[in-house]
Amino acid sequence: MASTFLSLRKTRLPFRVGQTPVRHAGGQEINTSDPRKDLIRRVLYPTNIRNRASPTGTWLPDVGRRLQRAIPSVQAHETIERAWFLHQRHARRRRQAEAEKKFQCMWNAMEKLRELSPRLYEEANKGEDPRARSPAETEIWKSLKKSERRAFDSRIRGLFPRELRPPTDTPPTGGWNYDYQPTLRSSS
Amino acid sequence: MFSLRRATRAYAGLARARGNATLQNSSQNVEITTPPPPPASTSAKSESVQTEPSDTAKQSPANPSSTKENVEESTNTKKRGRVWPTKRPSITLDRPRQYSRPIGVGALPVYDEALTYIKRDSKLRKEELEEYKSLLQRAESAPDWNPADIERLRDKIRILEIQSEVNLPSVRWKARNGLADLNQTVYRHLIEQRWREEGALDLLMERIYQMNVVPDMLPEMHPSFDLRVNFPEPPPQSTVLRNRTKRKYQKIEPGVFLLPEQTRKPPMMYTTVFHTEPRLYTMLMVDLDVPDLENQTYQTYLHWLQPNVSLSTFSQSPIPLTTTHTKYIPPHPQKGTHYHRYVLLFVPQAHATERMQIPVPTDEERLGFNYREFAEQYGLDAGRGGGAFMWREVWDETVSKIYQDVLNKLICGL
Repeated sequence: MASTFLSLRKTRLPFRVGQTPVRHAGGQEINTSDPRKDLIRRVLYPTNIRNRASPTGTWLPDVGRRLQRAIPSVQAHETIERAWFLHQRHARRRRQAEAEKKFQCMWNAMEKLRELSPRLYEEANKGEDPRARSPAETEIWKSLKKSERRAFDSRIRGLFPRELRPPTDTPPTGGWNYDYQPTLRSSS
Repeated sequence: MFSLRRATRAYAGLARARGNATLQNSSQNVEITTPPPPPASTSAKSESVQTEPSDTAKQSPANPSSTKENVEESTNTKKRGRVWPTKRPSITLDRPRQYSRPIGVGALPVYDEALTYIKRDSKLRKEELEEYKSLLQRAESAPDWNPADIERLRDKIRILEIQSEVNLPSVRWKARNGLADLNQTVYRHLIEQRWREEGALDLLMERIYQMNVVPDMLPEMHPSFDLRVNFPEPPPQSTVLRNRTKRKYQKIEPGVFLLPEQTRKPPMMYTTVFHTEPRLYTMLMVDLDVPDLENQTYQTYLHWLQPNVSLSTFSQSPIPLTTTHTKYIPPHPQKGTHYHRYVLLFVPQAHATERMQIPVPTDEERLGFNYREFAEQYGLDAGRGGGAFMWREVWDETVSKIYQDVLNKLICGL
C-alpha cells in the first residue's frame, strides 16, 4: 500500500488527454444556397468564443469595470458598512432601552395598583375582545340599517378593515368609483 | 477561423477562455483615472511584534502607489504589450508604512460621513473607558467589592478598549498589513478574529477531523492559539544538488504528506498567543498509526514530550526548545503500513503557573503511549485551549537510515 502512494507522488498527469488541438471557431456565417444546411452547420458547430454577456448576467465581460464603479475602494466600502451597522446598532439599542423603560414604568404602575386595589387590578389585567360590543353600542347597532350595520361591524380595532381590497395584477374592470360615499357609522 | 495562441499574448488568451474579465481589460473603456486597488491578502506571518524570518513572511500588496505612472503605463499598453503592475515591497515591521486614506476628501461624501461618525463614536467609547478605568482603580483599592464584580468590570473595560478602536480604518489597515501592535487589546482581538474566521483555524480543524485525530487520540480539541510549524523543504530533484544545497525551513500546511528526511530534526514552531499572561502548556508529538502485531491493531508512539512550556503574547517565537524533557525521535513510518498521522499538541496544564513533574518515559513506554490516560493522570484538557498541528508520512528508503542511526542507538546504547 505504501508503494501506491510512492508511485502516485512520482507520476505527473498530462494537462490534456489525447493532446487534441482546440479550435476557436468564430461565428462565421458561410451562406450556401440551402438554408437547411446552414442551420445544421450552425447547430453542429456553434462558436467557441464567448465574449458576450450571458442572458441572465451571470457572466459579464466588463464585470471589473462595474465592480470598480460600484465599490471603488474595498477599504472605503468596509468603513461605510461598519459605520452604517454601528448607527443601526445605536438606534436599536436606544429603541430597546426606551421600550424597556416604558415596560418597567407600566410594571411598576400595575404593582402599585395591585397593592391598592386587587379588584381593579383584576379588571385591568383582563384581556379585551375587540369585536365585542358594549351595551351602549348594541343599542346603537339595533337602530341602524342593514348596510350601516355591516359597515359598523367591518371596522374592528387592531384588525384590518373588511373593505380592504387585496392587490390584483390588473385594475378592476368596473374602473374607479368616483361617486363613492362612505356609509354612516357611529364611532365606538 | 482559427486563433493561434501567441506566447506574448498568453494573458489575453486566458481572458478569452470563459472567466471573469481582467481589470486591465475593463479599465481601458472607462474614464476613471485611478486603477482599481489590488485586494489586501492576509499576511499571517508578520503580524506579531517579534521579528520572524523573512522566508516565512507572505507578500502583502499595499494600497495603490502613485496613480500617474500606472495610468501612463496602461495607455502605453497597446504599443508595448502587457505591462504588469509593479508592486511596492511588502509591509513588515522592519519596513513599516504610514496609513493614508484610500480616497481623497470629498471624493465620496458618504465615506467622509462614515468616518466622522466612527470617530465620534470612538471618542465617546474612550471617555466611557476612562470612567470605567477609574472605577476599577477605586474598586481594587476598596475591600468591600466582591471579586466577581471586579472581574465583570475588567471584562467591560476589555470590551470598551476593543470597541473604541475596532472601527477605525487605520487600525484595521494596520492589523491587515502586518503592523499590529500586540500590546494593545484591539489588535490582539483583530488578529484572533482573522485566525478564527478567515480559514486558518477552519483548515486545521478540517484536517484534524477528517483524519480522525479527534476520536482516535482525544475526545475534544479546541485550539486557542495559532500554531504554525515549519520543517525543512524537501530535497531538490537533481541528485547533484541534493547534498550541496542548504535546506530552508518552509511553512507546512496541516494534513499534508511530508518526507521522513524533512522531519529528521525537530520543527520550528511559531505561535501567536492571544493571552498576555504567561501560561504553562505541555507539548507532545505522537504517531497514531504504529502497528500492534499481537493485537492486530494500531497503537500510538510518543516521539516528543516537553511539559511546562511557558507561552504568552510576548513569549519568544519560534519556541526555543534546545534540550527537551523527552528526546525528539524523528518519525519513522514502517514499510508496508498505510500512511502514519503525526500530531503535535500543546495542551494547557491544569494550573497556569504550577510546573508539573513528569517522569521521563523510557523507550518501551513510548510505544503504546495512551494519551487519554496520560491526560487524566496529569489533569490535561485539550478542550480548554492550546494549540495543535498534524501531518502525515509514508515509508521511504530514508526511514532505514533513521532506524540505523537513531533507533538502533536507542536499543544498543540503552
